[in-house]
Amino acid sequence: MTIDELRAKAAERQQTCTQIKKMIVSRLDLEIEPDWITDDQPLFGRGLELDSLDVLELYVAIEAEFGVALYDSEMAVFGSVSRLADEVNPQLKVTA
Amino acid sequence: MTTVLAHVHPGDTVYGQVGDASVPLRFGDLPDEYQVLRDRAALLDLSGHRLIEISGPAAVDFAQRLLARDVEYLTSERCMMSLVLDDSGQVVDQVLAFGRENGLLLESSVGAGDRLIEHLRANNDEGVEITDRSGDLTVLGLEGPYAWGVVGRLIDGELASLPFEAVADTVWNDVEIIFARTGFTGEYGYQMIVPIESAADLWQASLEHVTAAGQEALELAMLEVRQPIPRLETAGGANVIEIGANWLVDVTKDEFVGKEAVLAAFESGQGRRTVGFSGGDTVPEPGARVLAGGEDVGEVVLAVRSVGLGATLGLARVDAELAAAGLEFTVEGAGVTTLTSPYIVPKSWSIPII
Repeated sequence: MTIDELRAKAAERQQTCTQIKKMIVSRLDLEIEPDWITDDQPLFGRGLELDSLDVLELYVAIEAEFGVALYDSEMAVFGSVSRLADEVNPQLKVTA
Repeated sequence: MTTVLAHVHPGDTVYGQVGDASVPLRFGDLPDEYQVLRDRAALLDLSGHRLIEISGPAAVDFAQRLLARDVEYLTSERCMMSLVLDDSGQVVDQVLAFGRENGLLLESSVGAGDRLIEHLRANNDEGVEITDRSGDLTVLGLEGPYAWGVVGRLIDGELASLPFEAVADTVWNDVEIIFARTGFTGEYGYQMIVPIESAADLWQASLEHVTAAGQEALELAMLEVRQPIPRLETAGGANVIEIGANWLVDVTKDEFVGKEAVLAAFESGQGRRTVGFSGGDTVPEPGARVLAGGEDVGEVVLAVRSVGLGATLGLARVDAELAAAGLEFTVEGAGVTTLTSPYIVPKSWSIPII
């Protein structure tokens, strides 16, 4: 891939991540700028310190915002914003 | 500083100097110790973590000013991980802060005690008492998907289900200990702060239920879940934003040392960002160049052989516009792929405490 193609691919993921961060901040009424949340930071326990009630709120928000139902998913999908991006925009999914 | 548990560790334990502490890197085989931590439960010698008591009438005000997260209402039943920054926003240390009745107890990261104490004393405008308690207290850790079961057999089953970052003053074998639910690896994690004279007994009693793991296995598991290891990640003067440790800083707090510098770095959008990668047959050294489409876009921060992935795992610091998962880069002639965190999903996320 050329560097321009790599930049375009990165931009697509960063755009989805930004959309998720804005959704989290808005739905959970957090007092931080969305971009303060990093793509890789943990969301539960450590990190953003969300709890199980927040998860329920996010399930609903994700379905409304992205049309993706994650109700039966494992907790791993909330491992980070970037991991969540893989779920709401499957074109991004990485096989590592 | 040598571990206070050296006399009970096996004779062939491999030690290494980390900052100001000599710590057990491994007791035997790294892959075995890693697997114990990820599959069952591991006992950790955390005596390289310095315990520093902050006391006096202004202890909370002092800690609130020096720590980057909000500790104003940290009760004696809670602990919290926070960065400590200097005026320029550089990371001094990553600490665990325990609320105590007469102030706070700070636990440094491994080998960073001298640096932390020096920083605290140099910034002691409030005139608090800063006491190094590492002469009489030390720390043991338990981490793993079944660490909760070990807590039940060793001390009390009710302690196993404490909420994350909850703290309980309890008694083990007639010895008062501070027990906390913590964790560095994404697995269930606990810490026991114990008087040094009882540490060896608690270590040996723990070994009846669990296997010991060294610093190498612990830091590998930390890397896999993007738990910051500041001493490795801030080399070259990287700031909080560049290492991606924003979550250990509370920018909604009115004031703390380093806040202005961190906010300036955030708002400028300048600098590089950190992303995980895997691939290649060798483990590149820190500083190895990262190429994207043939152009130099950054460097390797650290890299190891990941037992869990069966491949090289590392962190790279690259141009912000390329700090994203799913990209193909080249490091030392080998193709690598950037990753989504966590790089290994902790087993604890799918195992309930029963």
